[in-house]
Amino acid sequence: METATSSGIGNAIDRVEGRLKVTGMAKYASEFFVENLAYAQAINSTVAKGKIVSIDTSEAEKQKGVILVLTHLNAEKLKAYDEERPVLSVSSIQPVLQSPEIHYYGEYVGLVVADTFEQAQYAARLVKIEYEKDAPTINFEEARGEAYKPNEQSDHLRGDIDAGMAEAEVKLEATYNTPIEHQHPMELHAIIATWDNGKVKAYASQQMIDNAAITIAETFQIPKRDVRVIAPYVGGGFGSKLHAKQHVILAVMAAKMTGRPVQLTVTRQQMFTNTNLRQHNEQKISIGATRDGKLTALAHDTLSHTSTYEEYQEPCGSVSKMLYNVPNNRVTHRLIPMNIQTPFAMRAPGEATGSFALESAMDELAWKLKMDPIAFRILNDTQTDLSNDKAFSSRLLKECLRIGADKFGWNQRKMTPGTNRQGNWLIGYGVSAASRAAPYQKTSSKVLLELKNKTLYATVQMDATDIGTGSYTIIAQTASEYLGIPVERITVEIGDSLFPVTPGSGGSWGAASYANGARMACLNAIDGLKRKLNSHDKAGSIEALMIDNQVTRYEAEGTAEPSEAFKKHSVYSFGANFSEVWVDKDTGMYRIKRMVNVGACGKILNPKTAFGQIIGGLTMGAGMVIAEQSRVEPNYGNFITRSFADYHVPVNLDMANIEVVFLPEEDKIANEMGVKGIGELGITSVAASITNAIFNATGKRMRDLPVTPEKLLTAAVEEIS
Amino acid sequence: MRPFVYIEPKNPQEALAASVANSAAKYLGGGTNLIDLMKEDVERPAELIEVADLNFKEIKATGKGGFLLGAMCNNAETANHPEIRKSYPLLSMAMLSAATAQIRNMATNGGNLLQRTRCPYFYEVSMPCNKRAPGTGCGAIKGMNAQHALFGWSEQCVAVNPSDMCVALAALGAVVHVQQADSGMRTIDFADFHRLPGSQPEKDNTLQPNDLITAIELPAPVFSDHYYYLKIRERSSYAFALVSVAAGLQIRDGAIAQVGLAMGGVAHKPWKLTAAESFLKGKKPSAQNFEAAADLAMREARPLSDNGFKVEMGKKAIVRALSQAYERTA
Ligand SMILES: Cc1cc2nc3c(=O)[nH]c(=O)nc-3n(C[C@H](O)[C@H](O)[C@H](O)COP(=O)(O)OP(=O)(O)OC[C@H]3O[C@@H](n4cnc5c(N)ncnc54)[C@H](O)[C@@H]3O)c2cc1C
Ligand code: SF4
Repeated sequence: METATSSGIGNAIDRVEGRLKVTGMAKYASEFFVENLAYAQAINSTVAKGKIVSIDTSEAEKQKGVILVLTHLNAEKLKAYDEERPVLSVSSIQPVLQSPEIHYYGEYVGLVVADTFEQAQYAARLVKIEYEKDAPTINFEEARGEAYKPNEQSDHLRGDIDAGMAEAEVKLEATYNTPIEHQHPMELHAIIATWDNGKVKAYASQQMIDNAAITIAETFQIPKRDVRVIAPYVGGGFGSKLHAKQHVILAVMAAKMTGRPVQLTVTRQQMFTNTNLRQHNEQKISIGATRDGKLTALAHDTLSHTSTYEEYQEPCGSVSKMLYNVPNNRVTHRLIPMNIQTPFAMRAPGEATGSFALESAMDELAWKLKMDPIAFRILNDTQTDLSNDKAFSSRLLKECLRIGADKFGWNQRKMTPGTNRQGNWLIGYGVSAASRAAPYQKTSSKVLLELKNKTLYATVQMDATDIGTGSYTIIAQTASEYLGIPVERITVEIGDSLFPVTPGSGGSWGAASYANGARMACLNAIDGLKRKLNSHDKAGSIEALMIDNQVTRYEAEGTAEPSEAFKKHSVYSFGANFSEVWVDKDTGMYRIKRMVNVGACGKILNPKTAFGQIIGGLTMGAGMVIAEQSRVEPNYGNFITRSFADYHVPVNLDMANIEVVFLPEEDKIANEMGVKGIGELGITSVAASITNAIFNATGKRMRDLPVTPEKLLTAAVEEIS
Repeated sequence: MRPFVYIEPKNPQEALAASVANSAAKYLGGGTNLIDLMKEDVERPAELIEVADLNFKEIKATGKGGFLLGAMCNNAETANHPEIRKSYPLLSMAMLSAATAQIRNMATNGGNLLQRTRCPYFYEVSMPCNKRAPGTGCGAIKGMNAQHALFGWSEQCVAVNPSDMCVALAALGAVVHVQQADSGMRTIDFADFHRLPGSQPEKDNTLQPNDLITAIELPAPVFSDHYYYLKIRERSSYAFALVSVAAGLQIRDGAIAQVGLAMGGVAHKPWKLTAAESFLKGKKPSAQNFEAAADLAMREARPLSDNGFKVEMGKKAIVRALSQAYERTA
């Protein structure tokens, strides 16, 4: 067998945990072996608003194996929200089963715990619940008037929009809609919870270990040190696992009440109703420019919905604040409380949806100006973030657009829609610009150095998670880089709240935070060891030093956090998307044939895992256009899309040939290692590049996602003269 | 799931007897539809009678120039069978457009004929649905019905049959072979096999209780040169049809000698376009004639609140399927 070793950052090495995953050895939350395990099945409400008037659990309780039937009548009392509709954060409390009130269809109303999964599932169907129904608010159109200005403010105003629009010689006002979408990671949300003498242990599929521990501790009002959360492997999250949702609390409560470890897996159907979603956004853009293409005004007003009991607001306008050099700018967000579960972050919250509106509008305006859409964007580029007057730490957007145009063959594009034809196909090219904040955060890590047979091995620990992104691999590569030993001799241990605290995986800060945290621990280990041994040898290896001094074990911790320079700058990753789309001239069908993505996102720690992030992002971005959409039933308020048979994500055949290019970028302001976020950049503005290509192919502007065959067939061709 | 008994009969007689003995029993083919529906609590059989292993697995010539497809052959074997590919490429094409490779490996031909509608109200037990729970009302007719029927629906039910295979079988004019409770055999013309909802939407077809499907008979092939199955859907694979068209043409001396035309996604049963077929017979295979046939086919459409787009889409699909069939040379 080959024993090739690999080391350092920047190498396209395979995932260090890859073999464990493909052989099924990597354990996910519900797979841990725990003695005396009981199984739970949650029960969901079948009305969208109202009150439980009676519950009959007798039939369920009689069944073989049933240990407990939990409802609001016998549930533990939990900490309650102390204000109306509080802002939902990644560590909010999650009270559940505390009252008979129903706020949305599918809300948890009970839980059955039994000896086997099948018994729990069967008994759950035997619980009879009667409701007093109320008319739910589920119609966005009708509830428009109830919109309010959210507490969490991300509105922005600079200059004078009216003056800017008056000054404009070419203008556009358009409304863009993105539907409710669901995160739907492959691994279902799951937990195995134990309650032992007031101490909680939870194997839980979560993106952020520390926040999950806070949510559990605060909801049950126990000290955080008594809560241990473990998640060595997480099968995707896309934001839905940032926060410990109600099922986590249900399982812990059941463990406490039954005295047995309890496993609870959320079903795919429940992932529509109980583990967050991306809400419907209606985005109105007003944009104007002078005849020669200089932007004079840009307003981006978003109307979305939140639940009736918690507030979440997706900052759709965030991109419009900072991407272009526009003196007059307004960004607002308003929310309608509706009887639908609380929305929460889904991959690139703000950017994924906001860039669809902004980058569609930019394309529309470029067309009105008869300008090339790339030239138009470059003309309005800025090196300063006008929303806060900070310089960008680095910004290679123009380069992304130019290099991408070159790779893609943009010069082959026909400016006038409908003029590139082949048989029954109309062919179009589209472009869009992408930006995503690179918010690196405070991260601690511990490294243990061990000498065995005169060979140095290292173990790196932190409470980071690997949600399929490659955290294990890039942490190992970082330690390898700074300790000067191959990756194969590094063990990475993550996903346990006993380890030093990190911000977890989310917001595109994972890689930068974990790598810089690991680096600090390694540097402190080297430093500390040298100091201890009184070594002044700058060049010598740490392994040689330990051998020479017969040190066999050494441990150090390190913490990395954003510098003053970081705080004085706007730190973003940038990119450009190019798509070629073929549209059937008659039937409403279309195919994405080719995509090119160019990214300027700092130091690439591992081109292979980075590439994976971008293809995943492009696929999810394409999904926004192709079919992703959760439909709410207009009379009952349930999701009519309730499995992967009706919630369509792209399949392989939908996807194009994809070329990904990373531009070399040194950005030491972003952080010491120059690593920027990449996990969300890939999805940003992809949708607009595709719909812009559809316009170029057909002359049809698709402003409402997804672009189904029905919509494309019935859309009108715009005046194209 | 609810508790159930599972049995493996050794022969069709045992299977039939078991079915007669328990009115709450169901035959189990590949299980790709039935097991799903049991997990959803929509189907609640007390007993499953395994029939997928019974000996109806042959694909063979009938002696009348046609072919017999065993009911327990899986969809993948059937669609990829060399004789079927050669003589009934329309059927292969339709079958291979369905579901995924994995599902086609499990799904049986018999089970495919009996797969139930994908109406989301049918799937959600807390919703009203006359097909699942007779008398509770039709949730779709006043709710979301973009995926629903244009033709032949009733106030009781506006669901569509989801099968792709069945659209091709309708165009080809197949015959279903059935073994009855008394072990006697019977055949049912494909056009009479599925039914319209009328006042009994819970009944998808004309089978009698306990009837066991043993084979599907295909008539002598006439559309092996000119055929096309067009399926319009929300993604390139692994999605049910919004609208589909199976078109077969036999061209003699520059004119259409025979034509088989059926649509999916538009009715409670695979929708045979008989008026369009008679119109085309003897005519030239021209764009103009194809368009006239499509207009004729969609004339009787009665769109619901959300599915008006299917009328236009249907016309375009018919024209396209016919022209692809014509232009195609085997
Ligand atoms: C996610 C998904 C996507 C799909 N996409 C498509 C698609 O795009 N197009 C399409 O056409 N289909 C599609 N299918 C449906 C698939 O084709 C059917 O599920 C399959 O054909 C059913 O066959 P089966 O053998 O598994 O039937 P089963 O599930 O075993 O049985 C179905 C019914 O038939 C009865 N039955 C079975 N065999 C016999 C017999 N010999 N005699 C009498 N009764 C019998 C059973 O009692 C049951 O009521 C999809 C299915 C899934 C799960
Ligand atoms: S269309 Fe038919 S299957 Fe759908 S809800 Fe109405 S009765 Fe049920």
